Amino acid sequence: MPALPDRLTQVTCYALASDPTICVKILNASLACCTLELQAAIASGEFVETDDASCDRQVTVLVVAGTVTDALVPRVMELIKSHPGAKVMSFGACATSGGPYWDSPPVSKGIDQFVEVASYVSGCPPRPEAFIQAVRVLAQIGTQA
Amino acid sequence: MKHSFIALIEDKCTSCMLCVRECPAWCITLDSHTVEVTEEGARRPRKVNVLDSFEIDYSLCMYCGVCIDVCPFDALAWDEHRALVTADREDMLLGIVELRPSDSS
Amino acid sequence: MKQEFTWHKVDAGQWFTTIGEQRDAGFTYFDFLTGVDRESLDPDKSDSQLQVEVIAHLAKPDLSDSIFVHTCVSEELDSITDLFQAASWHERECAEMYGIAFTGGDSRSLLRHETLSRSPLRKSTVLAARVLIPWPGGAEPQIKEDGRKAGNSSRRRQRPPGVPENWLKS
Repeated sequence: MPALPDRLTQVTCYALASDPTICVKILNASLACCTLELQAAIASGEFVETDDASCDRQVTVLVVAGTVTDALVPRVMELIKSHPGAKVMSFGACATSGGPYWDSPPVSKGIDQFVEVASYVSGCPPRPEAFIQAVRVLAQIGTQA
Repeated sequence: MKHSFIALIEDKCTSCMLCVRECPAWCITLDSHTVEVTEEGARRPRKVNVLDSFEIDYSLCMYCGVCIDVCPFDALAWDEHRALVTADREDMLLGIVELRPSDSS
Repeated sequence: MKQEFTWHKVDAGQWFTTIGEQRDAGFTYFDFLTGVDRESLDPDKSDSQLQVEVIAHLAKPDLSDSIFVHTCVSEELDSITDLFQAASWHERECAEMYGIAFTGGDSRSLLRHETLSRSPLRKSTVLAARVLIPWPGGAEPQIKEDGRKAGNSSRRRQRPPGVPENWLKS
């Protein structure tokens, strides 16, 4: 397999607008429609780009957003393995269970079959608020918005 | 209201199974039993279905709302959005209690 | 674009020449080519072997007019890529979804992996997951009460939508 290009493996560091001492590094494995809600959440103002040095606490979140086909699993695994310590978030129905495509032969019925998932988010797609909530849970700062 | 959350109003459900059959993702399951109800003044007792369990698997649900559309008794309804974020996939299987609307007492 | 659509049915043998004639008549914009499995829609199957309808939509470049040319085939049809290069991807998709070979065209699969089942959009190809996994809608909670069917549940469908009755035999 050729190496994944840099633009797909970039991790961007954000401070949370509601809790600026906490930084969240987000890597968006943007596979399908759920990506758009993720990007809407990031563009909402809750996530402020910052550099590493300004963080008291940090959490790296690798978001699998979208349908994972069996053919794509090796790539997703490669992405996950290249960020050890990252918390994997299964964002949306497809990543969690195959979603509406559970009956389709090429679709994986949930990424938790091959990787440990720290957080599952229900939705098709989940709302941006759900992503923000999930990040807060992973950063262990409570769920008060 | 769409894509928010699908809630069950338990009192209205008659176990007709329409939502279960029409759900495209097959994410609803229900079980029930029949009970005889005697009413004063009625000529004979009538049979009523009582829900034993009603579950929506929110790991599969695609929030299409077909279940809400087909329910003849309006027992399913769009509810206030609640972010369903869990640490385990099994916690996404919500039962009668968790499916109560947010404004129910 | 006018609202009434023209449908022009041809025999499979006339497919290539007809498309060529329509192109020469001014329909030089190739819109799409697709297939429909007619098996379940025509119970009186006099042409029982010709199950897949292939439809091509051509239009005039100013979109003032368009035409649907269609034919019925069983497994083979001439490719029109010599007339419209753009038809190549459409034919490849139609081929892998309906199991049709377009003679003279590109035979590589477009979207599907080679190891997957052939012709998934044919009605005869049953989606195994929907057949083998128990359908929640098949449960009859009221039957267990006294052993007999309650109400009019005997009229309820016992199979999920889309699952044929004798799927093992097709």
